Amino acid sequence: MQGLSRKRDPKTRGLSPHFLSPRFAKKCGVCPRCSPKNAGTVPAFLAIFLALLFSPKIALAEEPNTSPANAATTNTSAAHASAAATAQPTKFELDIQPILTARGCNSGPCHGKSRGQNGFALSLLGFDSDMDFRSIVTDARGRRVTPAAPADSLLLQKATANLPHGGGKKLEIDSPDYQTLLQWIQSGFPRTSDSDPTLTQVSISPAPKPLAPGEELNLKVTATYSDGSARDVTLTSAYQSNEPAVLAVKPDGKIRAGSLPGEATIMARYMGNIATWSSAIPRPDPVDPKIYAQLPRKNFIDDLVYERLSQLNIVPSKPASDSQFLRRAYIDVIGRQPSREETRSFLQDPNPNKRYALIDALLERPEYADNWANKWADLLRPNPYRVGIKAVLSLDTWIRDAFRQNIPYDQFVRGILTARGSNWKNGAVTIFRDRREPEEIVTMVSQLFLGIRMDCAKCHQHPFEVYGQHDFYSFAAFFSRVGFKGTGLSPPISGGEETVLVKSSGEVRHPLTGKALTPKTLRGSEVPIAEGQDPREKLVEWMISESNPTFAQVAVNRVWAELFGIGIVDPVDDLRATNPPSNPKLLDQLAAHFRTIGFNQKELLRTILQSHVYSLSSEPNETNRGDHRNFSRHYRQRLRAEVLADAICDITETTQAYAGTPNGTRAMQLWTVRTESELLDAFGRPDPNQDPPCERIPESTVVQALHLMNAPAIASKITDENGLAKRLASSEMTPSQIVEDLYLASFSRFPDPNELSDLVSEFGKPNNDRRKLVEDILWSMLNSPEFTHKD
Amino acid sequence: MLRRNLLQLGVAGLAGGSFANLLQLRQASAASMPSNKKPASCILIWMDGGPTHFETFDPKPEAPVEIRGEFQPINTNVQGIQICEHLPQLASIAHKYAIVRSVCHNQGNHGAGNHYMMTGAPPRIPVGCGAFVSFHPSLGSVAAKERPAPHGLPPYFSMPSMSRSGGPNFLGAKYAPFVVGGDPSNKHFRVRDVELPSGISDDRFASRRDLRHLVDRLPRFSDPATADPVVAVDEFVQQGIELITTPDAQKAFDIHSESDATRDAYGRNSFGQRALLARRLVEAGVPFVTLYDGGWDHHSDLFGALKTRLPSWDQTVAALINDLDQRGLLETTMVIALGEFGRTPKISTLPGQAKAGRDHWANAMSILFAGGSTPGGQVIGATDRQGHSACERILAPENFVSTVYLKMGIDPDKVYYTPSGRPTHLVSDPTPIKELM
Repeated sequence: MQGLSRKRDPKTRGLSPHFLSPRFAKKCGVCPRCSPKNAGTVPAFLAIFLALLFSPKIALAEEPNTSPANAATTNTSAAHASAAATAQPTKFELDIQPILTARGCNSGPCHGKSRGQNGFALSLLGFDSDMDFRSIVTDARGRRVTPAAPADSLLLQKATANLPHGGGKKLEIDSPDYQTLLQWIQSGFPRTSDSDPTLTQVSISPAPKPLAPGEELNLKVTATYSDGSARDVTLTSAYQSNEPAVLAVKPDGKIRAGSLPGEATIMARYMGNIATWSSAIPRPDPVDPKIYAQLPRKNFIDDLVYERLSQLNIVPSKPASDSQFLRRAYIDVIGRQPSREETRSFLQDPNPNKRYALIDALLERPEYADNWANKWADLLRPNPYRVGIKAVLSLDTWIRDAFRQNIPYDQFVRGILTARGSNWKNGAVTIFRDRREPEEIVTMVSQLFLGIRMDCAKCHQHPFEVYGQHDFYSFAAFFSRVGFKGTGLSPPISGGEETVLVKSSGEVRHPLTGKALTPKTLRGSEVPIAEGQDPREKLVEWMISESNPTFAQVAVNRVWAELFGIGIVDPVDDLRATNPPSNPKLLDQLAAHFRTIGFNQKELLRTILQSHVYSLSSEPNETNRGDHRNFSRHYRQRLRAEVLADAICDITETTQAYAGTPNGTRAMQLWTVRTESELLDAFGRPDPNQDPPCERIPESTVVQALHLMNAPAIASKITDENGLAKRLASSEMTPSQIVEDLYLASFSRFPDPNELSDLVSEFGKPNNDRRKLVEDILWSMLNSPEFTHKD
Repeated sequence: MLRRNLLQLGVAGLAGGSFANLLQLRQASAASMPSNKKPASCILIWMDGGPTHFETFDPKPEAPVEIRGEFQPINTNVQGIQICEHLPQLASIAHKYAIVRSVCHNQGNHGAGNHYMMTGAPPRIPVGCGAFVSFHPSLGSVAAKERPAPHGLPPYFSMPSMSRSGGPNFLGAKYAPFVVGGDPSNKHFRVRDVELPSGISDDRFASRRDLRHLVDRLPRFSDPATADPVVAVDEFVQQGIELITTPDAQKAFDIHSESDATRDAYGRNSFGQRALLARRLVEAGVPFVTLYDGGWDHHSDLFGALKTRLPSWDQTVAALINDLDQRGLLETTMVIALGEFGRTPKISTLPGQAKAGRDHWANAMSILFAGGSTPGGQVIGATDRQGHSACERILAPENFVSTVYLKMGIDPDKVYYTPSGRPTHLVSDPTPIKELM
């Protein structure tokens, strides 16, 4: 299952200067807080370079001048002369901090890292004005500013490289920015007072509109202040496009539509505030509206997908054949191929509603639980070397049990988040055993269940989001009363029993202010917790409530991505204004529907599988060949490692023994990735030693091709004395019956007349041994993409 | 040459000033392109984790004790060049390689540093320390695309695992490294799944392939815009079949045919034997081999660990350079050893650790660069007295990868188009390190 990239490198544990719990700090890499040892003298150009990290200049690789040497000279444009423009006295927050940000002074490799640079520390990208003011004006006995002789101030002397400055020359004397700084020191370093306007909003003009391929447009970014005044901050904002190929943006705010149809969102960031601008570039040739009107529709999914496609002038592909639908639905719902008999009876069934009947039947199959538990285990299963193998087993049991009972999703999440008890008895507590500190569990919870990535906000304002440290630690405070009793971690065995409990009190403190924080929901309000109460109960209440739309959105998006190969939002667990869904209405309606049906995942699957959109063919037409996000065709996917491993056993009528498991255990039922299997490794199951461990490799590789061709384990299944090939070859069946059975078993369809006659004629060749021939056909089928891929 | 210049001038004149710069850059890199030399192959020794520059190729004996560390420098056979005392064999052949001491960058965590050094492009979004990311094609993948592969062998090998960011990114999975796992120092070493399973003769394999053509009829959607994953599978299957059926390919893997003396010279350990296998592959015509050599992230016990590790590493790398030299292959084979960054000047003991180490440090690093007609016996650039940062001939990862590309006969200023049609320069600054050319 896609999502939840956890960043946990055991090697780097214990290295971070993160504040509260340095041992398990997550690293983002934006700032040297996350690469703490990289302190010291940084060459000048490097400072600028990281300042550009979020700038589209880096994102757009066609820019020829992105080398460090060039960057230093090309991107030190004047911040702005806004103070002069508004004829106000120069104020620290309004005028000085934007300069520090634009010049890269407070960027990660320079003074913005947590320890600062050579004793001078600023907050990263200027998110903490008080700290920055103190650093400049009062710290180090005020040596950085000299009111008596403002031009001699260390701040200016260093920035202009009059005195040796590790960061090199940042300001030209007499540049507007220099003048602004000088004026600010001259006037006694004024700060904004309560009566001063504060930055309230950043907006982009003109209003979003569809663009033609190749069309250019100058965006203007305006900062609005609480007194109603506004400034043009176009040149001091940073920009990023989520799809640079569709819509590129330059550092001056100029955007250009690419040659391909699609949608993109531009983000502009100014002083911690973000504005977005979304646009679509439709295919240039309009499509007759009648075509959409005539499309078959089962439910709202069809309506909303077709509506989106009509906006983009894309026509959906034809419906898939019965056999394509059959195999697709089997693999998606229960993670296995239909058997020969199942295929034969479905394909020969004249009932016009047989697809609906099939969906209903599949949802009742016992394999459903293993298939979906296997996907969720990817997301929840910790490294067994860390938490202990028994804890991993009990978590796996818990997950499988939840899917066996089809526990509504909200209860499933509640079961995890409020878990207490022994790690040997209640598997859900394993999550807390793994992520022991509030700051650790909170990033997982927010990403997995809310689609919100909080990691950045742990140390500084999230660069693409509204969250900052206060939000992070207030949210983490919901986990402040999680306590432990018993035997903790002792990697690499960690075999002990431990009980997760709720303490009567506990707190999370803000790392800078040291203040104990009341739990606060994201973008919401504080939630006071009475003594003896479990704050996690309150958290779950808020999470699953209707006031919190992302809970259901991220859930339906994840299920959707499993079926279609890509989420409506991609990555599946990164829901934010700067990463919009490809079809917002569809996401909203699916989420609303999920809530209406009581978070019943089987019902959700039923709704999606019944839609015509789900059963579209993968074959593109002229209008949708380039579509990868709007579901106008089915996107082919390689089978997951476990599905493939089980399918090979099913087709060849053999079993695979997995060490330490009962006979007949299927790959889908393995509860730890420590179970050895070359096949599963070759086909990209998660590696617990990799970081993040849950990452699956969906691509094909030459290693996979070689493995299917030559692996001794697969070769022996094809030639097994009790296997399919031997059975067919030694039976009384005619060649055409044998060929038909092989097609039904491997490809879930009947051979067409050409295929049948081609292969039957092979049986007539004088030198062909019947058994060897059947084995070789079987080998050929297992080595064909019609088997390895879901079409 | 004259006509070409005129043409370029003409175009520049027509297109206006902004173009002129670009063309000058290209001209510069074209001029430094070795014109009639055979393009070099590359054996990249990737010291993952970030090797210390102090204890390898940039000792600072004059620095205070908390910086200079426990090891002493030794003289090499080239006057004025000193390296670490635990690299005696390399010290005796310093005329065969150059040391670059002044490449630096700004990515102090493993995921990002790996990406920058391995691709020449800084990561475009924040990258986690443990991450395995790809935003741009790696050196090896570009070599795989641009350089012809010997018949039946993949053009890009990585042993025993893929390096981080060593992938093809938008060039497509067919330019991913062929990973040869396992330990070639093992008596029973063989390349997994490359041999036919027992009982399957070459003839039977051939008839299976014929049958497969009859059976495999799933339609392919060949338009690149459709990005049909099945199209990629076809290439992998073809690659796999060639690997299995070409005798040269099988022979290149047969490390057991080397003499005991040669195998001993490289060191009878997995790294040593992998280096020998790399030489066999290069000899067979493979243009790029990565020897992934992990575990250089010495936050603690730096001196204890290196005291045992450096001597055998020294033996292998020196043996590789000497062996290539004796076979006349060094002129056309680069041997490059580096990691993602250097390490902190100040020795530190992390909380909970008993022994001291050095931490991540991207402001300075050392690169060993041999072969491929690189003038040896020289040091390029320098760090300051205490090894804090590069202070002479400050070079960027872009310069490093451009040098490697030029030596491989690949224009670092080449423009690629991503599958969605976006033009992308291979290296944003295509200026090579001229001293190495």
